[in-house]
Amino acid sequence: MTRRSGVDVSRLPVLATGAQAPLWWGMLLLVTIETVVFGAFASSYFYLRFGAPEWPPAGIDPPDLLLPTVNTLVLVASGVAMHWADRGMDAGNVRRLQVGMAAATTLGVVFLVLKAVEYSDVDYRWDTNAYGSIVWAIVGFHSAHVASVLLKGVVVSVLAFRGHFTRERRLGVQVNGIYWQFVVLIWLPLYVVLYWVPRL
Amino acid sequence: MSGQATPAPPAPALSPKEKAVLERTWSSPKGLLGWFMHVNHRSMGKRYIVTALVFFVLGGLEALVIRLQLASPEAALVDPETYRQLFTMHGLTMMFFFAVPVMEGVAIYLVPLMIGARDMAFPRLNAFGYYVYLISGIGLYASFFLGIAPDAGWFNYVPLAGKEFSPGPNIDIWATMVTFIEVAALVAAVELIVTIFKQRAPGMSLDRMPLFVWSVLVMSFMIIFAMPPLMVTSIMLAMDRTVGAHFFNPAEWGDPLLWQHVFWFFGHPEVYIILIPALGMVSSIVATFARRPVFGYGAVALSMVAIGFLSFGLWVHHMFTTGIPELGTSFFTAASMMIAIPSGVQVFCWIATLWQGKVVMRSPLLFVTGFVFIFVLGGITGVMVASVPFDTQVHDTHFVVAHLHYVLIGGAVFPLLGAIHYWFPKLTGRLLSERLAKWAFWLMFVGFNVTFFPMHQLGFLGMPRRVHTYSADLDWGWLNLLATVGAFVLAAGVAVFLWNVVRSVRRGEVAGPNPWGADTLEWGTSSPPPAYNFAVPPTVASRHPLWEAVPSPGVTGLRSDRREVLVTRLLDAEPDCRQVVPGPSITPLLTALAVSVAFVGLLHSTWWVPVGALLTFGAIVAWNWPRAEHLGLGEDEGETSSVEAAR
Repeated sequence: MTRRSGVDVSRLPVLATGAQAPLWWGMLLLVTIETVVFGAFASSYFYLRFGAPEWPPAGIDPPDLLLPTVNTLVLVASGVAMHWADRGMDAGNVRRLQVGMAAATTLGVVFLVLKAVEYSDVDYRWDTNAYGSIVWAIVGFHSAHVASVLLKGVVVSVLAFRGHFTRERRLGVQVNGIYWQFVVLIWLPLYVVLYWVPRL
Repeated sequence: MSGQATPAPPAPALSPKEKAVLERTWSSPKGLLGWFMHVNHRSMGKRYIVTALVFFVLGGLEALVIRLQLASPEAALVDPETYRQLFTMHGLTMMFFFAVPVMEGVAIYLVPLMIGARDMAFPRLNAFGYYVYLISGIGLYASFFLGIAPDAGWFNYVPLAGKEFSPGPNIDIWATMVTFIEVAALVAAVELIVTIFKQRAPGMSLDRMPLFVWSVLVMSFMIIFAMPPLMVTSIMLAMDRTVGAHFFNPAEWGDPLLWQHVFWFFGHPEVYIILIPALGMVSSIVATFARRPVFGYGAVALSMVAIGFLSFGLWVHHMFTTGIPELGTSFFTAASMMIAIPSGVQVFCWIATLWQGKVVMRSPLLFVTGFVFIFVLGGITGVMVASVPFDTQVHDTHFVVAHLHYVLIGGAVFPLLGAIHYWFPKLTGRLLSERLAKWAFWLMFVGFNVTFFPMHQLGFLGMPRRVHTYSADLDWGWLNLLATVGAFVLAAGVAVFLWNVVRSVRRGEVAGPNPWGADTLEWGTSSPPPAYNFAVPPTVASRHPLWEAVPSPGVTGLRSDRREVLVTRLLDAEPDCRQVVPGPSITPLLTALAVSVAFVGLLHSTWWVPVGALLTFGAIVAWNWPRAEHLGLGEDEGETSSVEAAR
């Protein structure tokens, strides 16, 4: 692949999408960093769990399953809504983007409210023991991510309703979608760790 | 509207009028407020390098006080508490505020030039990272001058660093400032990876990238996998200390060893994060001064990748004396010794390069020879401490101090100084004085060995690290005095180097574009380069574009009236699209200040964290709010005038 002639790039597009765009790669790397962050939290959880003679410590019941399971489905549903909105935007359907974003954001808010309800009712706090510390840290950190992706979603929604996005100019929607799906997908292993591992 | 790149005749030289347009498009604003709005990569790279060198001098001064205190038995130059702060600050400064940022700074300055780009992928993110670095450094040193600097060593072990044994604010400052500066490192890593992936000159496929660019790529990926665990464990420590969590409290189901595991999972790769770019610098220098390509390009590149991977499997060798199971220690011994293989491959490739080349001995190569000598000695002691019985004997003694300084000063500082001598003409347009460079080299080389070689022996004699003083009848006095004398010779060498820099910026010999006759693209533009780096962005037909008999013709069709960069494909670097990168802005500084509210405020109350987070959100929205010039509006020629008018 030698190159001996010059190259004229004046006809190349300026509005890139997907893997063409540097921003898409930047978002992928941000997601990688965040995955390592949650990985470090999960590894710490297992380190503490296998160093402990019983888990959860005496006096703490294993977590209830019903509410968090339903809530996990709520979060997955928000991811599905976001995916539907993204695919709509791939075809230039701004209406689908608006409806999908609204649905995903609402489901995200429901998730946070149910999380708050769930943890206002547990009988341990972060300062009870190391089990409480790691559980609250993971839940708190993930909830902060949900909150931030909701804020980000609000900004993207505002732009969507102002007619900013078009089929060509949808990179902002794409990277928002990547981050949203990350926040949904990373919750699934965390859900298993937090709610099923203590029952093993 | 989406077209393709088309072959074109060689680009004609730009007319003065078009150059003036380019100059206006890419220039940075003037004045004090303007200074805070710079985003161009060379501006940020220079700031990183200069700031890191200031921290290098501060860390060095701390080391001199430490050496004065240890020069004679039972000395009382500083009290024990100050001494603890001194050695902690020395370690923190050199690892977090000098070594990593200076490597990033050199990379931020050089990588776009080496790959033929006009700027990096996210210029404002660059500026943001720099301000985060600067603010966290100022915060750390403010605590030092208030007498409340961290004092539990740079690796800050619990339970010493826990609330029970360190009730003061010192360790809170460690936790917040270290977490804070990791943000800067991660930002730079993302920026460098994306730029290397997507903005290489047409024709510069991955296997034609300069070895320095390879090393920066490996370093950046290592940062992405090593730094987040450190942030996590700092957050856990901060929670233990501020809201009464129990991660490291064995009485409440926690475990202090968790700190060591997570810290060294970061801490060991950290050493290689510093070393790998230095290896890339060495490869650049060796090729240029041997007047031939590096022997075994593929082997050298793959060795760096291999070191990057292996370095994540070594962390437990810092913990051989903590009573972990024997199977674990055996595994980590094997892994630790294995890293000698890719390191050795590179050393032999450089030897082969020099052997077959026509060696021109100039100051950059002189520093590289110093690197080889010192680093090999550090590598040998590294293989020694990788063995558990030996490590148990010398753990926490001055032998380890000697080993780590041979590795870090030999492995990073000498190549860095070689690199500064090598690329200084590109940054400033002037050469450093060869005569002063030789003085600096020999003072540093002799001073270094006189300082640190005796510490091997002191370690064998049983002198521990981090002791405030020692008793006279132990007979450690004369070796310590020798080390202190060496430290001042080393410092004199650094002073000569700094004087050389200050003097040569104004009065050095004018360099011209390519004073060394080097092969990579950064030498194909003027010294210092114009604000837009390349009047005609280059294309590439081999690994050594400037050594080609027929120079490759350049890229045409990028607009001059806005900040356009060419984006190419990841593997083969074929043209893919154009992107408009953002220009000068105050928002990166504002965002960095908003993030600081969260981090610095945490020292006062945890409530500052949500406040800072919301401020940060606002700043980021202001930063990213779409404006016409970023969106590629005005793509048709007819709309150009409206973009001009908007400016």
